Amino acid sequence: MVRTKIIYRLIVMFLVFAAMITIPLTFTVITQVNKMIAEEEAMRPPSDREYENMHHVFSSRLLGQIIPYSFYILIMALMLSIFLSRKMLISLKELQRGAKSIREGNLDVVLRISGDDELAAVTRAFNEMAASLKEKTLDLQKKNTYVDAMLDPLWVVDEMNRVADVNPAFVRLFGYSREEVIGASVYDFFDEQNVGIIRNQLLERTERKIASTYEVSIITREGTSMPVLLSGSPILEEGRVSGKIGIFKDFREQQGFRREVEQSRDYVETVVNSIEDQLLVIDKEYRIVTANRRALEHVSGSPVGQYCYLVSHDMNKPCWADGHECPAQSVFLTGKNFRTTHQHTGSGGERRFHEIVATPIRDAAGNVSQVIELIRDVTDRISHEEEIFRKNRELVALNSISGLLSRSLRADEIFMNVLDRMIEMIKMDGGGIFFIDELKRDMVCQYHRGISEEYIRMMGRIRMGEDIPGKVAVTGQIMTTSDISKDTRIERSLMKHSGMKGYCCLPVRGKERIIGVFCLFSFKPHYFTEEEESILNSIGEMTGIALENIKLYEKMRDMYEQQRKRRDDEHGQLLALTTKLGSAVDLRYVIGSVLELIRNMFNADFSWLLVRDSGDNYRLRASSSSTDLEDRMLYPRGVSSLEGYTADKRTPTVIADIRAGSRFYVPDEIGSLGYQSALAVPMHIGEKTVGVFTLYYRRTRDFRDEELHFLRIIANMLAVSLERYDSYVRSISEKGIATTIIQSVVDGIVTVDTQGRIIAINRAFEEMTAMSADEAVGLTVCDALRYTRENLDLRIAFGECLESALSGESINRGVLMTTAAGAQLSVLITGTPVLDAGGAVTGVVCLIRDISREKEIDRMKTDIIRSVSHEFRTPLSAIVGMTEMILEGDLDAQKDKLYLQTILSEGMRLSDMVSDLLSIARIESGMETLRPEVLDVAAIFEELQVSLESSCKKKNASIRCEVQGIKTFTADGSKLKQVLLNVIDNSLMYSDSGCLVAVTAKKSDNGIVITVKDNGWGISAEDMPHLKERFYRGRHGEKIKGTGLGLFLCNEIIRLHGGTMDIRSTFGTGTEVTLYLPDRGTL
Amino acid sequence: MSKVIVIDDEPFILMMIEDKLKKAALEVVTIRESSTAMEVIRRELPDLVILDWMMPEVSGIDICRMLKQDETLKQIPVFMLTAKGQDADEQLGRQIGVERYITKPFSPKMLLEMVQETLGNDKS
Repeated sequence: MVRTKIIYRLIVMFLVFAAMITIPLTFTVITQVNKMIAEEEAMRPPSDREYENMHHVFSSRLLGQIIPYSFYILIMALMLSIFLSRKMLISLKELQRGAKSIREGNLDVVLRISGDDELAAVTRAFNEMAASLKEKTLDLQKKNTYVDAMLDPLWVVDEMNRVADVNPAFVRLFGYSREEVIGASVYDFFDEQNVGIIRNQLLERTERKIASTYEVSIITREGTSMPVLLSGSPILEEGRVSGKIGIFKDFREQQGFRREVEQSRDYVETVVNSIEDQLLVIDKEYRIVTANRRALEHVSGSPVGQYCYLVSHDMNKPCWADGHECPAQSVFLTGKNFRTTHQHTGSGGERRFHEIVATPIRDAAGNVSQVIELIRDVTDRISHEEEIFRKNRELVALNSISGLLSRSLRADEIFMNVLDRMIEMIKMDGGGIFFIDELKRDMVCQYHRGISEEYIRMMGRIRMGEDIPGKVAVTGQIMTTSDISKDTRIERSLMKHSGMKGYCCLPVRGKERIIGVFCLFSFKPHYFTEEEESILNSIGEMTGIALENIKLYEKMRDMYEQQRKRRDDEHGQLLALTTKLGSAVDLRYVIGSVLELIRNMFNADFSWLLVRDSGDNYRLRASSSSTDLEDRMLYPRGVSSLEGYTADKRTPTVIADIRAGSRFYVPDEIGSLGYQSALAVPMHIGEKTVGVFTLYYRRTRDFRDEELHFLRIIANMLAVSLERYDSYVRSISEKGIATTIIQSVVDGIVTVDTQGRIIAINRAFEEMTAMSADEAVGLTVCDALRYTRENLDLRIAFGECLESALSGESINRGVLMTTAAGAQLSVLITGTPVLDAGGAVTGVVCLIRDISREKEIDRMKTDIIRSVSHEFRTPLSAIVGMTEMILEGDLDAQKDKLYLQTILSEGMRLSDMVSDLLSIARIESGMETLRPEVLDVAAIFEELQVSLESSCKKKNASIRCEVQGIKTFTADGSKLKQVLLNVIDNSLMYSDSGCLVAVTAKKSDNGIVITVKDNGWGISAEDMPHLKERFYRGRHGEKIKGTGLGLFLCNEIIRLHGGTMDIRSTFGTGTEVTLYLPDRGTL
Repeated sequence: MSKVIVIDDEPFILMMIEDKLKKAALEVVTIRESSTAMEVIRRELPDLVILDWMMPEVSGIDICRMLKQDETLKQIPVFMLTAKGQDADEQLGRQIGVERYITKPFSPKMLLEMVQETLGNDKS
């Protein structure tokens, strides 16, 4: 609207202006032009009319031209002005929006200010106004919120005391609605009594324009009365009270609190009053604020409000001002509790002690505002404490004295210390001790305290019965005086004028007499209580006893020294005995000498030592009489004897007279020699009784305990030695047996310690090493085997065995050993650990077993297997090879036959060999039995020659048989032939071509002797011992096929017959085999 | 024609080998007495010698040694025919220059093949 109106106004104004400008302008222009034309015409007047017409037309045309142009210019100017006043329109529009916004209640509006003209200023003013308006409105809203949010009820009352407004809390608490309340009189809400109070107060306060607080009860909508605290304050307007605001506080709870507070105050008061101690509350001015009943009893009238120093000490200024200790002041200064004990003098002059405990009372700021003083009468307690303290001090002193007396054995230390303790205990200034000289009947001061030497010298010796110490020494009664200088009982005394006041003199009492006197003094008067006197008396007695003890101790020490010396002597003798017993092997001699030693030591007339044997008989082991036969049985088992009794009882037995009574059997040698008393001492090890030794006396002899003790020790030693000797002897004999066994073993045995050093070797090992046991012991095994270089392997094997055995594992090693004699032996070394009872290795036993023979047998076995296999292979070659050729068709028919015959004969040969082997096996296993028959010797020889014919032809050999003086003979024929064939065949085989074999049979005693003799190659010496061994192949074995079984089989057969085979040979010359066979028929 | 000398104390072995080799068109000389072996070999100068190891008088090994030490004879290959079956024996044989080591019992056919092989190699 604004814009439209302004624009319209502008247009109208423009039109008016335009008209006002254009019309005069047009007329002016026309006038001026007409004037110009007229002037021109005046100079040059127009000539014709046309011109004149034209002139008039020109004017109207000019006018017609000017007016549109003018309008055009004005419209342009209008458009321009509208454009230029555009900004003004924006401002106006903003203002319009702002106004609308405020009308709608939005106070947050802030208008945009554009430009710097008056409209902008107006806009700015509008903004400020809006902001201020908003602030005020918010403030009002906030206040309203507070009022609404108040928990306490509130009302606003106008000047006529009518309720103008209430807050929601009012409605909540009292139940009235806002509408009900507004306009009502405030007095409608209170009962009559409260209305009166309020009315009076209200009038007064309204006049004085001051706030007021009433504790009243308001009537709620339900009609109940509710206690409230009403705070009213006037609303002032232009200095005039225009109304009042009243705020209610719910006082129901507070009322309860107040009741409780009152109750507790009453309670506290009751408690405070019932306290036995005086209780005062004092403020900072030292005035008494409160006093309990007990405190009131001690003063006349109420002390409340008075100064405490006036009440307590009857002083006009605080006691602390005079330097006294004041608990209240201390608490005010420090703010902490304070406890003290004050001594007051009572009305009767008696001492009273008060314990005062002062405690601060703090105000809300934490400052000490008042002090509670609790005053307790502790007179009784303090005096008890003092009593206890005193008693304690006395006890401590007594204790220390008695400790000293029982601990120390030095008289001077005791006296000085006891004196010091006594002085300290009863608080004296000095003292001294006088000792009585019984002979001179006087006494002298030996120890003193607090007295000068000079004074002591001056005092000198005091005679018994004179002066105080002298009297006390005689009477034995303690004497005390509180002030010696004034004591009328004492007429004359050195102490009387010495400045001493308190004085005490007490006796030092020994067991039977008074030893000395203690004197104590003080320079102040001292009242000696009964208690002190009794304590001092007992100290005197204790000291006396201690002194006697010291003397006793000294005596004892002398005795002890003597005893020790004696014991040293005994120890020396024991040592001698031990040495003898421990070192000697020939215990018989030693026990005899020990027994003699004991006899001499105890001056006995006779002594002997009996041992109990396994049959519980007592045998004589040693005696001091050399004529006694040792090992004689003295008491057979079951005989009642002193020694038997002692052994059973296990303690030494002393018999005053052995002849008296018939309790024990007394042997002749004791009875006849007139021995009277005896002491038998048992010897045992643990539970085992070893024996008894007895000392016999011709007189009566008493034994002291230490003597018996000493004898027991000797008995123990003897028992151990005897036992050890027995076990030694036993072990010697056991060892002897073991040694014999070890020595006779053919295997070498060497025992070494853990270091590998030889402990023992047996005879076989000695032989192997050519080293005696004496030489070998201590050497290492390797050193013992050092003699030959060939034994390197042996040493290594030994090393391995030892090492393994030392680690606990037994192993063996086979190795070649070259003995000292140069023989090569195959040995098997076995190392076995020697273990102690705990299983620890303590040494190693090495066994060196000669296994050469086993080796040889092994070798021979291998040989025979080879040999057998060789012997088998040759015939097998014929069988296999020829069969193959026949099958291959290599041969013609004639050859075939020859081949097959060969195969057959070689097969037979194989069969024979198998039979041979089986025979041997049978003989060896004992399964072969003889089948004896009567043989014609000559016939057998003939058969042999036939059998051997082909062999003989091959060798071009000749066999000559001879039978001498025998025709028949009984034996296993086939076996005998087998033997002879074998032997003769050997002769043929191991001979050169053309050899001669002579076989002779002769009659022997009851049998036959057959000799086979050849001139062949002979047998080497080294083969000779092995000829009859199984599988042995001699030197010729390489050349000649054989099984090595022949001679062995022969020997076995002869042996089976009970005969013998003897072979004699010279290498390169010939061999002679002699067979002897018993006649089986004559057997 | 190649010449082979066979030395063995067992006649049937000699017979067998002689028959087999002759059938293969080889010239065979057999010797039973080992003591004459060296003499025969020297005279015959064979292309191959087949020896038995274990013979009375002179053993096959000794003959082989003698051959190998003889300058004129040492190139003659030697077959050792033996009943010794152990490896150690074979090794010994090889050490002294035995060409072939044949263990008894043996196959004549195989022996022939080995002989032909050795002789063939020699010829070539």
